[in-house]
Amino acid sequence: MAQSERMIDIAGVHKTFVADHGTVTALEPVSITIREGEFISIVGPSGCGKSTLLRLISGLDQATGGSITLDVSGRKRPVGFVFQEPVLLPWKTIVDNVRFPLDTAGVARAQGDKTALDLIKMVGLAGFEKALPRQLSGGMRQRAAIARALSDDPPILLMDEPFSAVDLMTRDNLNDELLRIWQSTGKTILLVTHSVDEAAYLADRVMVMTARPGKLKCVHNVELARPRGEQTKLDPAYHALVAQLRRDLRTPAGEAH
Amino acid sequence: MNRRFSAAVDYTLALGVLLFVWWFATGPMALPAFLLPSPLRTWNALVTIALTGELWRHLGFTLQNIVLGLILGCIAGIAIAYVMTRFPRLAVWLDGPLVILQTAPKIALAPLFVVWFGFGVLSKIILIFSLVFFPVFVGAVAGFRTLDPKMKDLSKLLGLSAVQRFRQIELPAAMPEIFVGLKIGAVQALVGAVLAEWMSGKVGLGYLMTFASATYKTPLLFAAVLMTVVLGLVLHVALTILERRLLSWKGAKNG
Repeated sequence: MAQSERMIDIAGVHKTFVADHGTVTALEPVSITIREGEFISIVGPSGCGKSTLLRLISGLDQATGGSITLDVSGRKRPVGFVFQEPVLLPWKTIVDNVRFPLDTAGVARAQGDKTALDLIKMVGLAGFEKALPRQLSGGMRQRAAIARALSDDPPILLMDEPFSAVDLMTRDNLNDELLRIWQSTGKTILLVTHSVDEAAYLADRVMVMTARPGKLKCVHNVELARPRGEQTKLDPAYHALVAQLRRDLRTPAGEAH
Repeated sequence: MNRRFSAAVDYTLALGVLLFVWWFATGPMALPAFLLPSPLRTWNALVTIALTGELWRHLGFTLQNIVLGLILGCIAGIAIAYVMTRFPRLAVWLDGPLVILQTAPKIALAPLFVVWFGFGVLSKIILIFSLVFFPVFVGAVAGFRTLDPKMKDLSKLLGLSAVQRFRQIELPAAMPEIFVGLKIGAVQALVGAVLAEWMSGKVGLGYLMTFASATYKTPLLFAAVLMTVVLGLVLHVALTILERRLLSWKGAKNG
Protein backbone atom coordinates (compact mmCIF):
# COMPACT_ATOMS: atom_id res chain seq x y z
CA MET A 1 0.00 0.00 0.00
CA ALA A 2 1.54 3.24 -1.11
CA GLN A 3 -0.03 5.16 1.73
CA SER A 4 2.35 8.05 1.41
CA GLU A 5 1.47 9.04 -2.14
CA ARG A 6 -0.33 12.32 -2.45
CA MET A 7 -3.73 11.80 -3.95
CA ILE A 8 -5.33 15.19 -3.38
CA ASP A 9 -3.36 18.37 -2.88
CA ILE A 10 -5.41 21.33 -1.76
CA ALA A 11 -3.52 24.61 -1.53
CA GLY A 12 -5.16 27.82 -0.38
CA VAL A 13 -8.48 26.96 -1.95
CA HIS A 14 -11.23 29.43 -1.17
CA LYS A 15 -14.67 30.25 -2.48
CA THR A 16 -16.69 33.43 -2.41
CA PHE A 17 -19.86 34.19 -4.25
CA VAL A 18 -21.82 37.31 -4.95
CA ALA A 19 -25.16 37.64 -3.20
CA ASP A 20 -27.69 40.48 -3.12
CA HIS A 21 -25.92 42.21 -0.25
CA GLY A 22 -22.30 41.89 -1.36
CA THR A 23 -19.91 38.99 -1.49
CA VAL A 24 -20.28 36.05 0.84
CA THR A 25 -17.35 33.89 1.85
CA ALA A 26 -18.41 30.27 1.61
CA LEU A 27 -14.97 28.92 2.34
CA GLU A 28 -11.84 30.59 3.68
CA PRO A 29 -8.52 29.36 2.29
CA VAL A 30 -7.99 25.67 3.04
CA SER A 31 -4.79 23.74 2.59
CA ILE A 32 -4.41 20.03 3.16
CA THR A 33 -2.78 17.07 1.49
CA ILE A 34 -4.64 13.79 1.37
CA ARG A 35 -2.76 10.56 0.83
CA GLU A 36 -3.79 7.75 -1.43
CA GLY A 37 -6.11 5.32 0.27
CA GLU A 38 -6.83 7.63 3.15
CA PHE A 39 -10.27 7.87 4.72
CA ILE A 40 -11.04 11.48 5.63
CA SER A 41 -14.12 12.66 7.48
CA ILE A 42 -15.15 16.29 7.27
CA VAL A 43 -17.38 17.34 10.11
CA GLY A 44 -19.00 20.66 10.83
CA PRO A 45 -22.27 22.55 11.20
CA SER A 46 -24.41 23.73 8.31
CA GLY A 47 -22.81 26.51 6.34
CA CYS A 48 -19.23 25.61 7.24
CA GLY A 49 -18.33 25.01 3.62
CA LYS A 50 -17.81 21.27 3.91
CA SER A 51 -20.09 20.49 1.01
CA THR A 52 -18.56 23.38 -0.91
CA LEU A 53 -15.11 21.86 -0.42
CA LEU A 54 -16.35 18.55 -1.76
CA ARG A 55 -17.93 20.18 -4.79
CA LEU A 56 -14.70 22.04 -5.50
CA ILE A 57 -12.68 18.83 -5.36
CA SER A 58 -15.15 17.08 -7.66
CA GLY A 59 -15.02 19.93 -10.16
CA LEU A 60 -18.75 20.60 -9.85
CA ASP A 61 -17.94 24.14 -8.74
CA GLN A 62 -14.95 26.34 -9.47
CA ALA A 63 -12.83 27.75 -6.66
CA THR A 64 -12.40 31.51 -6.44
CA GLY A 65 -8.69 31.00 -5.82
CA GLY A 66 -6.09 28.45 -4.80
CA SER A 67 -5.45 25.14 -6.44
CA ILE A 68 -6.61 21.57 -6.19
CA THR A 69 -4.40 18.89 -7.70
CA LEU A 70 -5.64 15.36 -8.09
CA ASP A 71 -3.08 12.66 -8.78
CA VAL A 72 -5.23 10.78 -11.22
CA SER A 73 -3.14 10.80 -14.39
CA GLY A 74 -5.62 12.33 -16.79
CA ARG A 75 -8.67 10.23 -16.04
CA LYS A 76 -11.87 11.61 -17.46
CA ARG A 77 -13.79 10.85 -14.29
CA PRO A 78 -11.35 10.96 -11.37
CA VAL A 79 -13.99 11.03 -8.65
CA GLY A 80 -17.07 9.10 -7.75
CA PHE A 81 -19.64 11.21 -5.95
CA VAL A 82 -22.36 10.08 -3.55
CA PHE A 83 -24.94 12.75 -2.85
CA GLN A 84 -27.12 13.18 0.19
CA GLU A 85 -29.99 11.70 -1.79
CA PRO A 86 -29.34 8.69 -4.01
CA VAL A 87 -30.06 10.62 -7.27
CA LEU A 88 -30.79 7.39 -9.11
CA LEU A 89 -32.57 7.57 -12.45
CA PRO A 90 -36.07 6.43 -11.45
CA TRP A 91 -36.83 4.90 -14.86
CA LYS A 92 -33.82 2.60 -14.80
CA THR A 93 -33.46 -0.62 -12.86
CA ILE A 94 -30.77 -0.88 -10.22
CA VAL A 95 -28.36 -2.69 -12.51
CA ASP A 96 -28.98 -0.14 -15.27
CA ASN A 97 -28.38 2.68 -12.81
CA VAL A 98 -25.14 1.18 -11.57
CA ARG A 99 -24.01 0.55 -15.15
CA PHE A 100 -25.00 4.05 -16.26
CA PRO A 101 -21.53 5.65 -15.89
CA LEU A 102 -20.09 2.77 -17.92
CA ASP A 103 -22.78 2.97 -20.60
CA THR A 104 -22.19 6.66 -21.07
CA ALA A 105 -18.43 6.08 -21.25
CA GLY A 106 -18.91 3.62 -24.10
CA VAL A 107 -18.02 0.47 -22.19
CA ALA A 108 -19.37 -2.68 -23.85
CA ARG A 109 -22.62 -3.94 -22.40
CA ALA A 110 -21.35 -7.35 -21.32
CA GLN A 111 -18.35 -5.84 -19.59
CA GLY A 112 -20.54 -3.20 -17.94
CA ASP A 113 -23.01 -5.80 -16.74
CA LYS A 114 -20.28 -7.84 -15.15
CA THR A 115 -18.86 -4.85 -13.28
CA ALA A 116 -22.30 -3.65 -12.22
CA LEU A 117 -23.38 -7.05 -10.92
CA ASP A 118 -20.15 -7.45 -8.95
CA LEU A 119 -20.65 -4.04 -7.36
CA ILE A 120 -24.28 -4.74 -6.58
CA LYS A 121 -23.16 -7.87 -4.79
CA MET A 122 -20.50 -5.91 -2.92
CA VAL A 123 -22.95 -3.32 -1.60
CA GLY A 124 -25.34 -6.07 -0.53
CA LEU A 125 -28.08 -5.61 -3.09
CA ALA A 126 -27.88 -9.03 -4.74
CA GLY A 127 -31.37 -10.07 -5.80
CA PHE A 128 -32.49 -6.50 -6.43
CA GLU A 129 -30.72 -6.04 -9.78
CA LYS A 130 -33.96 -5.74 -11.72
CA ALA A 131 -35.81 -3.64 -9.14
CA LEU A 132 -36.68 -0.02 -9.76
CA PRO A 133 -35.38 2.58 -7.30
CA ARG A 134 -38.85 3.30 -5.94
CA GLN A 135 -39.20 -0.32 -4.89
CA LEU A 136 -36.22 -0.06 -2.54
CA SER A 137 -35.84 1.52 0.89
CA GLY A 138 -33.82 4.69 1.38
CA GLY A 139 -30.83 2.78 2.70
CA MET A 140 -30.87 0.35 -0.22
CA ARG A 141 -31.09 3.18 -2.71
CA GLN A 142 -28.07 4.78 -1.11
CA ARG A 143 -26.21 1.46 -1.45
CA ALA A 144 -27.05 1.51 -5.14
CA ALA A 145 -25.77 5.08 -5.36
CA ILE A 146 -22.47 3.96 -3.82
CA ALA A 147 -22.22 1.11 -6.31
CA ARG A 148 -22.82 3.54 -9.17
CA ALA A 149 -20.16 5.93 -7.85
CA LEU A 150 -17.69 3.04 -7.84
CA SER A 151 -18.67 1.58 -11.20
CA ASP A 152 -16.04 3.20 -13.36
CA ASP A 153 -13.45 2.59 -10.68
CA PRO A 154 -12.48 6.15 -9.72
CA PRO A 155 -9.53 6.40 -7.32
CA ILE A 156 -11.38 8.97 -5.22
CA LEU A 157 -14.81 8.64 -3.64
CA LEU A 158 -16.49 11.81 -2.38
CA MET A 159 -19.53 11.42 -0.14
CA ASP A 160 -21.71 14.36 0.85
CA GLU A 161 -23.65 13.35 3.96
CA PRO A 162 -24.57 10.08 2.29
CA PHE A 163 -26.34 8.53 5.24
CA SER A 164 -28.12 11.53 6.72
CA ALA A 165 -31.49 10.53 5.27
CA VAL A 166 -31.55 6.98 6.66
CA ASP A 167 -32.49 5.83 10.14
CA LEU A 168 -29.82 5.31 12.79
CA MET A 169 -29.69 1.53 12.71
CA THR A 170 -29.39 1.44 8.95
CA ARG A 171 -26.77 4.10 9.24
CA ASP A 172 -24.62 1.99 11.58
CA ASN A 173 -24.85 -0.90 9.14
CA LEU A 174 -24.01 1.27 6.18
CA ASN A 175 -20.99 2.68 8.02
CA ASP A 176 -19.63 -0.81 8.59
CA GLU A 177 -20.32 -1.70 4.96
CA LEU A 178 -18.54 1.42 3.85
CA LEU A 179 -15.46 0.48 5.86
CA ARG A 180 -15.52 -2.98 4.31
CA ILE A 181 -15.83 -1.51 0.81
CA TRP A 182 -13.04 0.94 1.52
CA GLN A 183 -10.78 -1.85 2.74
CA SER A 184 -11.48 -4.05 -0.25
CA THR A 185 -11.13 -1.32 -2.88
CA GLY A 186 -8.42 0.91 -1.41
CA LYS A 187 -10.18 4.08 -2.52
CA THR A 188 -9.36 7.48 -1.16
CA ILE A 189 -12.57 8.54 0.56
CA LEU A 190 -13.72 11.96 1.72
CA LEU A 191 -16.93 11.81 3.68
CA VAL A 192 -18.84 14.88 4.81
CA THR A 193 -21.05 14.40 7.83
CA HIS A 194 -22.93 16.18 10.61
CA SER A 195 -22.23 13.37 13.00
CA VAL A 196 -19.04 13.46 15.06
CA ASP A 197 -19.53 9.80 16.03
CA GLU A 198 -19.64 8.75 12.41
CA ALA A 199 -16.66 10.97 11.57
CA ALA A 200 -14.51 9.49 14.32
CA TYR A 201 -15.60 5.92 13.74
CA LEU A 202 -14.76 5.85 10.05
CA ALA A 203 -11.79 8.06 9.40
CA ASP A 204 -8.02 8.11 9.43
CA ARG A 205 -8.22 11.85 9.87
CA VAL A 206 -11.09 14.14 10.78
CA MET A 207 -11.24 17.66 9.40
CA VAL A 208 -13.22 19.94 11.70
CA MET A 209 -14.82 22.92 10.01
CA THR A 210 -16.68 25.86 11.48
CA ALA A 211 -19.25 28.18 9.99
CA ARG A 212 -19.62 31.84 9.12
CA PRO A 213 -17.24 32.12 7.47
CA GLY A 214 -16.63 28.50 6.53
CA LYS A 215 -13.11 27.48 7.47
CA LEU A 216 -11.00 24.51 8.40
CA LYS A 217 -10.46 24.75 12.14
CA CYS A 218 -8.27 21.74 12.81
CA VAL A 219 -7.42 18.22 11.70
CA HIS A 220 -7.33 15.25 14.08
CA ASN A 221 -5.45 12.04 13.47
CA VAL A 222 -7.56 9.07 14.46
CA GLU A 223 -5.32 6.47 16.06
CA LEU A 224 -7.98 3.83 16.57
CA ALA A 225 -7.10 0.30 15.51
CA ARG A 226 -8.34 -1.18 12.25
CA PRO A 227 -10.46 -2.98 11.34
CA ARG A 228 -13.03 -1.11 13.32
CA GLY A 229 -16.25 -2.51 14.67
CA GLU A 230 -18.39 -2.67 17.77
CA GLN A 231 -15.30 -2.89 19.97
CA THR A 232 -14.15 0.47 18.59
CA LYS A 233 -17.22 2.09 20.04
CA LEU A 234 -16.20 0.81 23.49
CA ASP A 235 -12.67 2.15 23.18
CA PRO A 236 -12.05 5.08 25.59
CA ALA A 237 -9.85 6.68 22.94
CA TYR A 238 -12.85 6.76 20.60
CA HIS A 239 -14.96 8.51 23.21
CA ALA A 240 -12.19 10.94 24.00
CA LEU A 241 -11.95 11.83 20.32
CA VAL A 242 -15.71 12.24 19.96
CA ALA A 243 -15.74 14.51 23.01
CA GLN A 244 -12.83 16.51 21.59
CA LEU A 245 -14.64 16.92 18.27
CA ARG A 246 -17.75 18.14 20.06
CA ARG A 247 -15.67 20.68 21.97
CA ASP A 248 -14.04 21.82 18.73
CA LEU A 249 -17.41 22.40 17.19
CA ARG A 250 -18.86 24.14 20.19
CA THR A 251 -16.07 26.68 20.76
CA PRO A 252 -16.99 29.56 18.55
CA ALA A 253 -14.11 29.95 16.20
CA GLY A 254 -13.60 32.89 13.93
CA GLU A 255 -15.92 35.10 15.94
CA ALA A 256 -13.02 37.17 17.22
CA HIS A 257 -13.17 39.42 14.20
CA MET B 1 -56.97 -9.88 -13.96
CA ASN B 2 -60.28 -10.29 -12.22
CA ARG B 3 -60.63 -6.53 -12.01
CA ARG B 4 -59.86 -6.07 -15.66
CA PHE B 5 -62.43 -8.72 -16.52
CA SER B 6 -65.17 -7.07 -14.49
CA ALA B 7 -64.31 -3.73 -16.05
CA ALA B 8 -64.72 -5.30 -19.49
CA VAL B 9 -68.11 -6.68 -18.43
CA ASP B 10 -69.14 -3.21 -17.28
CA TYR B 11 -68.08 -1.62 -20.54
CA THR B 12 -69.94 -4.23 -22.56
CA LEU B 13 -73.08 -3.77 -20.49
CA ALA B 14 -72.94 0.01 -20.84
CA LEU B 15 -72.51 -0.34 -24.60
CA GLY B 16 -75.40 -2.80 -24.70
CA VAL B 17 -77.69 -0.42 -22.85
CA LEU B 18 -76.74 2.39 -25.19
CA LEU B 19 -77.47 0.24 -28.25
CA PHE B 20 -80.77 -0.83 -26.76
CA VAL B 21 -81.86 2.76 -26.14
CA TRP B 22 -80.84 3.61 -29.70
CA TRP B 23 -82.76 0.67 -31.09
CA PHE B 24 -85.77 1.50 -28.88
CA ALA B 25 -85.86 5.10 -30.11
CA THR B 26 -85.82 4.04 -33.75
CA GLY B 27 -87.93 0.87 -33.43
CA PRO B 28 -90.81 1.03 -30.92
CA MET B 29 -90.66 4.84 -30.64
CA ALA B 30 -90.42 5.10 -34.41
CA LEU B 31 -88.30 8.22 -34.75
CA PRO B 32 -87.97 9.11 -38.43
CA ALA B 33 -84.81 7.81 -40.11
CA PHE B 34 -83.66 11.28 -41.23
CA LEU B 35 -83.44 12.24 -37.55
CA LEU B 36 -82.08 9.01 -36.17
CA PRO B 37 -81.42 5.97 -38.34
CA SER B 38 -81.67 2.61 -36.63
CA PRO B 39 -78.54 0.79 -35.53
CA LEU B 40 -79.06 -1.72 -38.32
CA ARG B 41 -79.32 0.90 -41.07
CA THR B 42 -76.22 2.66 -39.73
CA TRP B 43 -74.41 -0.65 -39.67
CA ASN B 44 -75.47 -1.37 -43.23
CA ALA B 45 -74.24 2.03 -44.38
CA LEU B 46 -70.94 1.35 -42.66
CA VAL B 47 -70.58 -2.08 -44.20
CA THR B 48 -71.40 -0.74 -47.64
CA ILE B 49 -68.66 1.88 -47.64
CA ALA B 50 -66.30 -0.57 -45.97
CA LEU B 51 -66.85 -3.04 -48.80
CA THR B 52 -66.42 -0.46 -51.56
CA GLY B 53 -63.21 0.61 -49.88
CA GLU B 54 -64.40 4.19 -49.56
CA LEU B 55 -64.35 4.03 -45.76
CA TRP B 56 -60.70 3.05 -45.62
CA ARG B 57 -59.68 5.86 -47.91
CA HIS B 58 -61.41 8.44 -45.70
CA LEU B 59 -60.32 6.84 -42.44
CA GLY B 60 -56.76 6.44 -43.66
CA PHE B 61 -56.54 10.06 -44.70
CA THR B 62 -57.82 11.36 -41.36
CA LEU B 63 -55.65 8.98 -39.38
CA GLN B 64 -52.58 9.86 -41.42
CA ASN B 65 -53.12 13.58 -40.79
CA ILE B 66 -53.62 13.05 -37.09
CA VAL B 67 -50.51 10.90 -36.74
CA LEU B 68 -48.38 13.31 -38.75
CA GLY B 69 -49.71 16.31 -36.83
CA LEU B 70 -49.12 14.55 -33.52
CA ILE B 71 -45.57 13.55 -34.38
CA LEU B 72 -44.61 16.96 -35.75
CA GLY B 73 -46.34 18.77 -32.89
CA CYS B 74 -44.55 16.63 -30.32
CA ILE B 75 -41.14 17.07 -31.88
CA ALA B 76 -41.55 20.83 -32.22
CA GLY B 77 -43.14 21.22 -28.78
CA ILE B 78 -40.39 19.28 -27.05
CA ALA B 79 -37.61 20.89 -29.07
CA ILE B 80 -38.71 24.48 -28.52
CA ALA B 81 -39.47 23.84 -24.85
CA TYR B 82 -35.99 22.37 -24.43
CA VAL B 83 -34.24 25.22 -26.21
CA MET B 84 -36.17 27.72 -24.11
CA THR B 85 -35.27 26.08 -20.81
CA ARG B 86 -31.62 25.75 -21.83
CA PHE B 87 -31.31 29.34 -23.04
CA PRO B 88 -33.33 31.63 -20.77
CA ARG B 89 -32.31 34.65 -22.83
CA LEU B 90 -34.05 33.15 -25.82
CA ALA B 91 -37.06 32.38 -23.67
CA VAL B 92 -37.55 36.08 -22.99
CA TRP B 93 -37.67 36.68 -26.74
CA LEU B 94 -39.95 33.80 -27.55
CA ASP B 95 -42.33 34.16 -24.60
CA GLY B 96 -44.38 37.02 -26.03
CA PRO B 97 -45.08 35.61 -29.50
CA LEU B 98 -45.76 32.19 -28.04
CA VAL B 99 -48.32 33.51 -25.55
CA ILE B 100 -50.11 35.35 -28.35
CA LEU B 101 -50.13 32.24 -30.54
CA GLN B 102 -51.17 30.09 -27.63
CA THR B 103 -54.16 32.21 -26.65
CA ALA B 104 -55.27 32.68 -30.25
CA PRO B 105 -58.10 30.22 -30.92
CA LYS B 106 -56.57 27.86 -33.45
CA ILE B 107 -59.98 26.79 -34.70
CA ALA B 108 -60.68 30.40 -35.65
CA LEU B 109 -57.41 30.47 -37.55
CA ALA B 110 -58.39 27.38 -39.52
CA PRO B 111 -59.91 29.28 -42.50
CA LEU B 112 -56.74 31.34 -42.62
CA PHE B 113 -54.66 28.18 -42.84
CA VAL B 114 -56.76 27.14 -45.83
CA VAL B 115 -56.14 30.50 -47.49
CA TRP B 116 -52.42 30.30 -46.80
CA PHE B 117 -51.69 26.64 -47.32
CA GLY B 118 -54.36 25.55 -49.76
CA PHE B 119 -57.08 22.92 -49.82
CA GLY B 120 -54.75 19.97 -49.58
CA VAL B 121 -53.05 18.02 -46.87
CA LEU B 122 -50.72 20.81 -45.78
CA SER B 123 -53.32 23.16 -44.29
CA LYS B 124 -54.90 20.25 -42.41
CA ILE B 125 -51.65 19.07 -40.92
CA ILE B 126 -50.74 22.62 -39.94
CA LEU B 127 -54.04 23.04 -38.11
CA ILE B 128 -53.55 19.75 -36.24
CA PHE B 129 -49.93 20.65 -35.55
CA SER B 130 -50.94 24.00 -34.04
CA LEU B 131 -53.46 22.24 -31.79
CA VAL B 132 -50.97 19.59 -30.63
CA PHE B 133 -47.97 21.87 -30.26
CA PHE B 134 -49.08 24.01 -27.34
CA PRO B 135 -50.23 21.39 -24.82
CA VAL B 136 -47.07 19.38 -25.51
CA PHE B 137 -44.93 22.52 -25.31
CA VAL B 138 -46.44 23.60 -21.99
CA GLY B 139 -46.04 20.11 -20.56
CA ALA B 140 -42.47 19.84 -21.77
CA VAL B 141 -41.50 23.22 -20.32
CA ALA B 142 -42.92 22.14 -16.97
CA GLY B 143 -41.05 18.84 -17.26
CA PHE B 144 -37.69 20.36 -18.15
CA ARG B 145 -37.97 23.11 -15.52
CA THR B 146 -38.71 20.74 -12.66
CA LEU B 147 -35.63 18.62 -13.31
CA ASP B 148 -33.85 17.80 -10.05
CA PRO B 149 -30.71 20.02 -9.94
CA LYS B 150 -28.83 17.01 -8.58
CA MET B 151 -29.40 15.36 -11.94
CA LYS B 152 -27.47 18.23 -13.51
CA ASP B 153 -24.64 17.59 -11.05
CA LEU B 154 -24.73 13.94 -12.01
CA SER B 155 -24.46 14.63 -15.71
CA LYS B 156 -21.64 17.10 -15.07
CA LEU B 157 -19.74 14.59 -12.93
CA LEU B 158 -20.10 11.93 -15.58
CA GLY B 159 -19.07 14.40 -18.26
CA LEU B 160 -22.10 13.56 -20.38
CA SER B 161 -22.33 15.05 -23.85
CA ALA B 162 -25.29 17.29 -24.62
CA VAL B 163 -26.95 14.47 -26.54
CA GLN B 164 -26.38 11.95 -23.76
CA ARG B 165 -27.73 14.34 -21.17
CA PHE B 166 -30.87 14.98 -23.21
CA ARG B 167 -31.52 11.37 -24.21
CA GLN B 168 -30.58 9.72 -20.96
CA ILE B 169 -31.68 12.19 -18.32
CA GLU B 170 -33.66 15.24 -19.35
CA LEU B 171 -36.11 13.71 -21.81
CA PRO B 172 -37.07 10.69 -19.70
CA ALA B 173 -37.37 12.90 -16.61
CA ALA B 174 -39.74 15.26 -18.45
CA MET B 175 -41.75 12.42 -20.02
CA PRO B 176 -44.60 12.35 -17.46
CA GLU B 177 -45.37 16.04 -18.01
CA ILE B 178 -44.94 15.70 -21.77
CA PHE B 179 -47.50 12.91 -21.73
CA VAL B 180 -50.04 15.06 -19.94
CA GLY B 181 -49.72 17.53 -22.80
CA LEU B 182 -49.72 14.82 -25.44
CA LYS B 183 -52.99 13.35 -24.20
CA ILE B 184 -54.69 16.73 -24.35
CA GLY B 185 -53.10 17.29 -27.76
CA ALA B 186 -54.39 13.99 -29.12
CA VAL B 187 -58.00 14.91 -28.36
CA GLN B 188 -57.45 18.27 -29.99
CA ALA B 189 -55.82 16.62 -32.98
CA LEU B 190 -58.93 14.61 -33.76
CA VAL B 191 -61.12 17.70 -33.47
CA GLY B 192 -58.74 19.62 -35.71
CA ALA B 193 -58.55 16.85 -38.30
CA VAL B 194 -62.31 16.56 -38.67
CA LEU B 195 -62.81 20.30 -38.66
CA ALA B 196 -60.18 20.84 -41.34
CA GLU B 197 -61.93 18.29 -43.54
CA TRP B 198 -65.29 19.99 -43.06
CA MET B 199 -63.84 23.14 -44.51
CA SER B 200 -62.08 21.89 -47.58
CA GLY B 201 -61.03 18.87 -49.55
CA LYS B 202 -62.73 15.78 -50.87
CA VAL B 203 -61.47 13.11 -48.55
CA GLY B 204 -61.46 12.24 -44.84
CA LEU B 205 -64.06 11.37 -42.22
CA GLY B 206 -64.92 15.04 -41.81
CA TYR B 207 -65.56 15.33 -45.53
CA LEU B 208 -67.69 12.18 -45.39
CA MET B 209 -69.85 13.84 -42.73
CA THR B 210 -70.41 17.02 -44.70
CA PHE B 211 -71.11 14.99 -47.81
CA ALA B 212 -73.64 12.77 -46.01
CA SER B 213 -75.47 15.62 -44.34
CA ALA B 214 -75.56 17.68 -47.55
CA THR B 215 -77.12 14.76 -49.39
CA TYR B 216 -79.45 13.79 -46.51
CA LYS B 217 -77.82 10.39 -46.09
CA THR B 218 -78.31 10.26 -42.34
CA PRO B 219 -77.27 6.60 -41.94
CA LEU B 220 -74.01 7.43 -43.73
CA LEU B 221 -73.58 10.49 -41.50
CA PHE B 222 -74.06 8.28 -38.48
CA ALA B 223 -71.59 5.80 -39.81
CA ALA B 224 -69.01 8.56 -40.25
CA VAL B 225 -69.65 9.94 -36.77
CA LEU B 226 -69.34 6.45 -35.35
CA MET B 227 -66.02 5.92 -37.09
CA THR B 228 -64.75 9.21 -35.66
CA VAL B 229 -65.71 8.04 -32.18
CA VAL B 230 -63.93 4.75 -32.78
CA LEU B 231 -60.88 6.60 -34.06
CA GLY B 232 -60.84 8.69 -30.89
CA LEU B 233 -61.02 5.54 -28.79
CA VAL B 234 -58.22 3.90 -30.76
CA LEU B 235 -56.04 6.96 -30.27
CA HIS B 236 -56.78 6.96 -26.56
CA VAL B 237 -55.95 3.27 -26.21
CA ALA B 238 -52.76 3.64 -28.26
CA LEU B 239 -51.57 6.50 -26.08
CA THR B 240 -52.47 4.66 -22.89
CA ILE B 241 -50.44 1.64 -24.01
CA LEU B 242 -47.53 3.88 -24.94
CA GLU B 243 -47.79 5.63 -21.59
CA ARG B 244 -47.79 2.33 -19.72
CA ARG B 245 -44.66 1.28 -21.55
CA LEU B 246 -42.78 4.53 -21.18
CA LEU B 247 -43.91 5.53 -17.72
CA SER B 248 -44.25 2.18 -15.96
CA TRP B 249 -41.44 3.31 -13.66
CA LYS B 250 -43.75 5.98 -12.20
CA GLY B 251 -45.57 3.29 -10.28
CA ALA B 252 -48.78 1.37 -10.36
CA LYS B 253 -51.60 3.06 -12.19
CA ASN B 254 -54.62 0.84 -12.26
CA GLY B 255 -57.15 0.93 -15.00
